[in-house]
Amino acid sequence: MILNSFYAFLSSLGFGVLFNIRGKNLIIASIGGGLTWFTYLVSGRLQPSAVFSLFLASLVGSIYSEVMARIYKSPVTLFIICAIIPLVPGGGMYYATLEAVKGNFDASLSKGVVTLFSAGAIAIGIVFVSSLSTIFKKIKK
Amino acid sequence: MHIDDIIHVATDAGKIILENGGETYRVEQTITMICNSYGIQHTESFVTPTGIMVSITNNENKTISLVRRINTRTVNLRKVAMINNLSRQIVENPLSTEEMKKEIDYINNIPPYSHKTTTFFAAGSSGFFTLLFGGNYKDFFVAFLIGALINYFSGFLDDLEVNSFLKNMLGGALAATIALTAASLRLVGNMDTIIIGSIMILVPGISITNAIRDTIAGDLVSGVSRSIEALFVAIAIAAGTSVVFKIWVLLFGGGLI
Repeated sequence: MILNSFYAFLSSLGFGVLFNIRGKNLIIASIGGGLTWFTYLVSGRLQPSAVFSLFLASLVGSIYSEVMARIYKSPVTLFIICAIIPLVPGGGMYYATLEAVKGNFDASLSKGVVTLFSAGAIAIGIVFVSSLSTIFKKIKK
Repeated sequence: MHIDDIIHVATDAGKIILENGGETYRVEQTITMICNSYGIQHTESFVTPTGIMVSITNNENKTISLVRRINTRTVNLRKVAMINNLSRQIVENPLSTEEMKKEIDYINNIPPYSHKTTTFFAAGSSGFFTLLFGGNYKDFFVAFLIGALINYFSGFLDDLEVNSFLKNMLGGALAATIALTAASLRLVGNMDTIIIGSIMILVPGISITNAIRDTIAGDLVSGVSRSIEALFVAIAIAAGTSVVFKIWVLLFGGGLI
């Protein structure tokens, strides 16, 4: 589990370089990737729903990014993109395509719907946190 | 101070953010902040992923406006962060428009990571994604190779100004071809994880994130257009891989491994 999170950290690091993030921000952003994947794995052990795990992981990743963006005075996108990238349901998309090519349209559709739900869960996680952060900003003023 | 200079400086700063992967509201905020710091009270801007429209009114009730078309969109979050910081700084210590122009030019001309560096890290990224999705160390090396090739060829296709649909389709096709070849030569354990890992570097992460953030910020036009952008990239990748699968089955027969 720890090793897997480390892989997620390294993948996010690669992504950070592709997006031209530099210096300290690069490391901080990649740790976000490791953290979300760790949350996803822990949540997967505790309860069976993968979609809910994705939601929790995206929640944790977004909170981490919002906090780090305040501390290091950088745009939130910079952190959130690296934190969320390991969760993106590339696998679901691939299996949906593969089943469609094989001619199993039922399997393809169900994989496709799961992929759509996963993407939705991640999106709701991000929306939830950034909506809350605007409330905090208002209260602080 | 000349009102024309102000609008040009503000719009150029906004343009850099938009071209390099910033959110829509950040562009509008930056333009408004820069204009405010030069004493312009009324600034209206309307930003979409493909263009910026700004209109400002000074104290003598003179109104001018400027439209900028955005043709190239890349991702360079470092420039976004730097322009963002610059616009916050000048609220506290104002710069003249000439100095501001110099700063913006300096930020715009910062070179990105070299092609070799990005190729290496793209390769590493796809390799580690493969491990993350349950591949073994042999899969890692194949995915590493695919990642490097995809990044190298997309740089090459960028020089030819190929559109992103074809670029992603060819990327997906390349990943599927190499993975299928490696699997049929019995070099690797699991073809699926290799393909998933290597198409991850094509996934439109920045469009997805910005689509969500734009939509909740109320920039519905940008939100919808970025979602469509992300959807088209996903379709392109799926089309690329599935065409290769289909051709493979037609040529060599049998089921997919």
